[in-house]
Amino acid sequence: MIEIVPRKSTGWHTQVAAYLVALVLGFATSALLIKAGGASVAEGFGALYEGAFGSWEAVLQSLVAATPLIFTGLATVIAFRAEIWSIGQEGQMFAGAMCGYWVSLYLGGAPLLLAVPIIIFAAMIGGAFLGGFCGWLKTQFQVNEIISTVMLNYVIIYLLSYLLAGGPWTEEGSTSYHQTPVLADNFHLPLLVDGVKLHLGFILALVAAAICWVILKKTPLGFEIRALGFNPTALRFKGVNVTRTVLVVMGLSGALSAMAGVSEIFGVNYRLRGDVMVGLGFTGIIVGMIGGLNPIGAVIAALLFGALANGSLYMSVLSDIPPSLVPAMQGILLLFFLSASVLVRYSIRIKRFTHV
Amino acid sequence: MFELLSPEILMSIMIAAVGVATVILLAAMGELITERSGIWNMGVEGTMLSGCLIAYLVMVGTGSPVMAALVAMIAGLVSGLLIGFMTITLRVDHFVTGLGFNLLASGLTLFWFRSYVGGGKPPSYSTIDKSAIPGLADIPVLGPILFDQHLLTYIAFLSVPFIAFFLRRTTLGLETRAAGENPQFLEAKGLSVSNRQYSALLVGSALTALGGAFLMLAFADQFRPDISGGRGWLAIVAVIAGNWKPVRTMIAVMVFAVFDSVAVHAQGVGVDVPYQFFLMLPYVASILLLVMIRSRLGQPAKLGVPYLRH
Repeated sequence: MIEIVPRKSTGWHTQVAAYLVALVLGFATSALLIKAGGASVAEGFGALYEGAFGSWEAVLQSLVAATPLIFTGLATVIAFRAEIWSIGQEGQMFAGAMCGYWVSLYLGGAPLLLAVPIIIFAAMIGGAFLGGFCGWLKTQFQVNEIISTVMLNYVIIYLLSYLLAGGPWTEEGSTSYHQTPVLADNFHLPLLVDGVKLHLGFILALVAAAICWVILKKTPLGFEIRALGFNPTALRFKGVNVTRTVLVVMGLSGALSAMAGVSEIFGVNYRLRGDVMVGLGFTGIIVGMIGGLNPIGAVIAALLFGALANGSLYMSVLSDIPPSLVPAMQGILLLFFLSASVLVRYSIRIKRFTHV
Repeated sequence: MFELLSPEILMSIMIAAVGVATVILLAAMGELITERSGIWNMGVEGTMLSGCLIAYLVMVGTGSPVMAALVAMIAGLVSGLLIGFMTITLRVDHFVTGLGFNLLASGLTLFWFRSYVGGGKPPSYSTIDKSAIPGLADIPVLGPILFDQHLLTYIAFLSVPFIAFFLRRTTLGLETRAAGENPQFLEAKGLSVSNRQYSALLVGSALTALGGAFLMLAFADQFRPDISGGRGWLAIVAVIAGNWKPVRTMIAVMVFAVFDSVAVHAQGVGVDVPYQFFLMLPYVASILLLVMIRSRLGQPAKLGVPYLRH
């Protein structure tokens, strides 16, 4: 019988070693998957690497793919730090994109310097509202936030499906594509480099990460967030309005998720469509957790997963391995990281089985 | 809108609702046992999805629905074992484990399905037949609704009183509940908490995967990614709304099943309200149900609290 006993303390080198082992095991298991699928592992990983880092352009493209993941990863960090298990990042991202698109319909010929901030603001309000709604359900009606966020994800996705498949936002003459018409140039997030779609969103994502880090480490709100996860009762006795903190956390998390939608729609695709965003919210949960619920960790994890996502397109062209290898790899890596994060806190003893 | 209220359509909605309920009910009963043992398993959706894919692959391979259901249940056991290893042995947070497992299952099933299909068209099969109960099926109105269903539907509904009896009246059921209410007590009696929790989780996960298999075999002729479509989550909601009691949980399941069935019929009949709004119904209903039913008295005292042996 395996038994796990808490360990007194762990140095940082033990933690780093554990995470490296988790990373290696995750990639090894993924290699087994490729093998089981009947493809060559070296070829697969080779193509994956080539697609992600093979050229300057590929590297920049990986950063583009990482951008929405930084936002949804940060959304996860903020909520999970408070032990609020929101998995509404997906729906909030859709809601953000939808609100951004909605206000853009009224902005007409507004100059870029005016239009883009308004779009970003509207999107963040939309995401914050959806997140805050789940926070309200939690504090007011004790509705578990996992349940409410999951269910609202489905509701939002069907709402978008209605709007784009025959509904008011559908592009004329192309109902089967489920998309809006192309956005005017003054709504596009400005590009940072010529020729590659590395856009303003990437800078905003890094700024958001820095802000999240400051909030968590240096502000009273950050203290409340960490304390909410650690001991909500003590927080209440300290005179903190816990209801307000939950609403703020969920609102902030929703606003960050919404930015992922803005960056995909206004930075990359220039038209609102659902399929280009699918999964970015859920991947953000993995990014946040693998990043150790730390804003800087989340950025690193997002860069890794952005590179994987970008590389997988190249890989699927060069080999028979489907790009869906990447979501599978992400799930595998997550479970190894979760196990590693626990194992560094405990030591394992093999014991004789005594109980019935 | 009113097309849905004609007697024929209403009848058809109810018949389909009882069938659809089977999927959620099997998962909900599995989750009920699991939660009563103190494990707050949030990996129901992923377990169900795994059951769907395995049932699909085996059905295409062998053509035997029985084989498909059995192997799907084995996949459920594997899922349960993994979730149990994380929550019971490693004591990772139950919510985090469940969320992680769902993401893993979603990614793995997608990859496996895409690798299996390659570039081609996914193979399909014909869905399984219903088995009417002779005599009873001829009763007007109730007959077709209750007694002209699939074999597994009867089993799922019969499992409700069976599980209620198991939890209330048997030693093993009592011990399972003790693991969720007062694990120290169980330990003091010299009984292993983790054994009870592993057993509950494994049985629960097998039932959930069986629900997934039924979804595949009775309602779909081929797999598609995330085909379980939130039904695993609805099972969790049903357990909470049912206040962790078998019969009430079944009633909550029926609410979702009726909405699910209405949504399918609204698409078929061609109602002037966009069908997407009907598809939202079960999810909206689940939130409303939790807002309205606020009693959590039946919640096991140590639900979701990792047990540390002394």
